[in-house]
Amino acid sequence: MNSRFLFFVIAALAAHLPLAADQGSVQVTVKDNKGQSVADAVVSLLPLDTKPILAPLAEPVIINQRDQEFEPLVTPVIVGTRIAFPNRDAIRHQVYSLSKAKRFEIPLYGPGVGETLLFDRAGVVALGCNIHEWMTAYIIVLETPFFMKTQADGLAALAALPPGRYRLDVWHSRLVHEATREVIIASSDVAAQTIAITLRPNTGKRRAPDGLGGGYK
Amino acid sequence: MAVTNNAPTVIARRHSFAAKLLTLLVGLVAAAQIATWLIVSRDNLREARSLIEADLRHATLAFTNIVKDRNNLLGDGGTTAARDYAIKPLFTDPDEVATLASALPSIAGSIHADLVVALALDGHTLASAPAGEIPGGVLRKLIAAAELDESPTPRATGYAYHRDRLHSLVLVPVRAPDTVAWLVLGFRIDNALASTLHEQTGIDLTFADPQHRVVATSLPALKARTLLASPLRPTTDAALATVPLGDDTALVVSRLLPAGDGLHASLYLQYSLEEKLVPARRTERILLLVSLGSLVFAILLGLGFARRLSQPIEQLAAHTRVIARGDYITPLTLQRTDELGRLADAFRAMTAGLAERDRVRDLLDKNVSPEVAAQLLRDGATLGGQEREVTILFADLRGFTTLSEKLTPQELLTLLNRYLDRMSAAIEAHGGVIDKFIGDAIMALFGAPVPQSDAANRALDAALAMEKALVQLNAELAAEGIAPLAIGIGVNTARVVAGNIGSSRRLNYSVIGDGVNVASRLQSLTRTAEYRTSLIASAATLAACCQKSSLGAPPASSASPGSSPSSASSPSSALPTFRPLGTVPVKGRAEPVVIFAVE
Ligand SMILES: [Cu+2]
Repeated sequence: MNSRFLFFVIAALAAHLPLAADQGSVQVTVKDNKGQSVADAVVSLLPLDTKPILAPLAEPVIINQRDQEFEPLVTPVIVGTRIAFPNRDAIRHQVYSLSKAKRFEIPLYGPGVGETLLFDRAGVVALGCNIHEWMTAYIIVLETPFFMKTQADGLAALAALPPGRYRLDVWHSRLVHEATREVIIASSDVAAQTIAITLRPNTGKRRAPDGLGGGYK
Repeated sequence: MAVTNNAPTVIARRHSFAAKLLTLLVGLVAAAQIATWLIVSRDNLREARSLIEADLRHATLAFTNIVKDRNNLLGDGGTTAARDYAIKPLFTDPDEVATLASALPSIAGSIHADLVVALALDGHTLASAPAGEIPGGVLRKLIAAAELDESPTPRATGYAYHRDRLHSLVLVPVRAPDTVAWLVLGFRIDNALASTLHEQTGIDLTFADPQHRVVATSLPALKARTLLASPLRPTTDAALATVPLGDDTALVVSRLLPAGDGLHASLYLQYSLEEKLVPARRTERILLLVSLGSLVFAILLGLGFARRLSQPIEQLAAHTRVIARGDYITPLTLQRTDELGRLADAFRAMTAGLAERDRVRDLLDKNVSPEVAAQLLRDGATLGGQEREVTILFADLRGFTTLSEKLTPQELLTLLNRYLDRMSAAIEAHGGVIDKFIGDAIMALFGAPVPQSDAANRALDAALAMEKALVQLNAELAAEGIAPLAIGIGVNTARVVAGNIGSSRRLNYSVIGDGVNVASRLQSLTRTAEYRTSLIASAATLAACCQKSSLGAPPASSASPGSSPSSASSPSSALPTFRPLGTVPVKGRAEPVVIFAVE
């Protein structure tokens, strides 16, 4: 199977949505070249003319470890967001990241809320567990409040966008080339964007079959 | 004789039938054996080559597999080592390179790698144990290959020189949990590996660098250098090459192992042809022995057979010489049932025929005049004849019946033979031919079978000689006290049919005709007392006699009884005197015969 998929990113102005004054709105659908919807892609819009107001949530964002998997797999956040890694399993985990945006390691910890960490550098943070090789999750730390993760239907709807020039980014864990382009958002404007992206094949680590202690082959 | 004949015999043997037969037999056997040996030898060689080729392919596969296995083992070990959460962060922190370098030897030790190299994600070397450089090109290629690997455990393998030593390399990702760096693990291609493979496959391996120096080998160093000194070069099609190595011949397949940046290593797998041929050579030796045995057997068989054939032939040849000497008595002892036996039988029959012929010839000489015998032998005994003028002489004893009563049969026969012997001598002395003896009577021919122009003269001379001979015999007989013998002779000249008379099995040369009866009649007329003669000739004889004896002279008026015969006789004393006796009738003849007494 040819491992490379082509994604078409379609951005359209959602004209039917109720609009606030001087605010644009955009709906982005991520599909591959076979028309399949792609979930867990992160669509972000970085204003180019103005510095966006970054207001991280007061409460930490939660990335659970449940059933020996991270949940959710992809978590886009604003720079300065705090994230907690509660362990919902009966066994222990050792969450770490060696990414430049956030190098950390939470020593073995059992069930409970665990540590809460501050993500104050933009970038992609790949999460792993030293105990469970297959556990993988991504935190995308963004310097813009305008972002959305595509759902199972491949849709990302972005609203309340001040008109102006934006850099439209699409991120995916298997992205080969950065998918970046400039778009202009105007109030009551309709913008349509198509971006072709190649991804690596989905050769991700496989979780060991149930009954086996761990490891992967 | 044996001594003098030995040398020629030996020389003759060389060209003899026996020698030819022997040569043929031995030649055939030898040719068959040589052909067999050549075919077997060729097939053995072909088989050995094919076996070696299969072995070499197998060894090539074994090499590939052992390298693959070791790569897998090292890859797994490296992956496990990189999973260590104490080690893992060292790959991504530039400040921890020294720590990483210090960790590598223990990784190498734990997974039995000869070489461990840590690479950053972009391929540049972070640390290496032992210290050294792997060409950047090799590393880039490995990373590119690993990135193309879609399997859950991507890895890439290859060869490279590290500190001038050939290594097999395997590259695995360091994951945290995405790939954050690379780890290269290597093992040395050294003599130990070559020896291991040699133990597994029985094939000798030699690795060479681009300068054709030995990198690793399972061979003794000298032999490996000899191999690499040959014009052998690695080929991509892995064709079988034949390389002479001292007193041995090696079959070699080669493989090119790319080692990056235009470098490579050559792998030569070889097996000794002689070694593979050892069992075949043993078989060939046995075959050679069998061949020699067969050859010896063939020689013995050929000798015996040739002797069996040539001996009777020589025996026959020897007997031919015996026959040539005229010895028909010595028997031919050859007793066989085959063709040579039949030849011997034919030979015996021929000998018998020759003996018979000789006996016949001998008898002919005794019973037939030499002239007749000669003519018979010359012209062959054929039936038929020719008409010709001959003079016939008939002689008969007088009073033989009376004599036979006085003598014993033995004495009689002796006497008769003495008489006939003398008479025959007289006849033959004058060129006459004894036609036959009829008891005590003699019939002789003149002018046949050999024509004589003076046959009549000869006949008359012979008759007179017979009478003279009888006088002498009578003198002898008188001395012995035996009564004298008397004879009567009749001579006639006539045209008769002369030739071989009889059946096809038994022939006599004789004459037939009326003239013969006349001669016999004239002989019997000598008994007539009034004629006072013991020798009567016919006018025809007289005529023939005078015609031949004096050409141009007047005939002795023999036809006329009234004329004087004495005066008419020739002045030459050679002619006898004819006294006319008148005419006598002869049975079966119309005209009477004029007869004369010859004195
Ligand atoms: Cu875990």
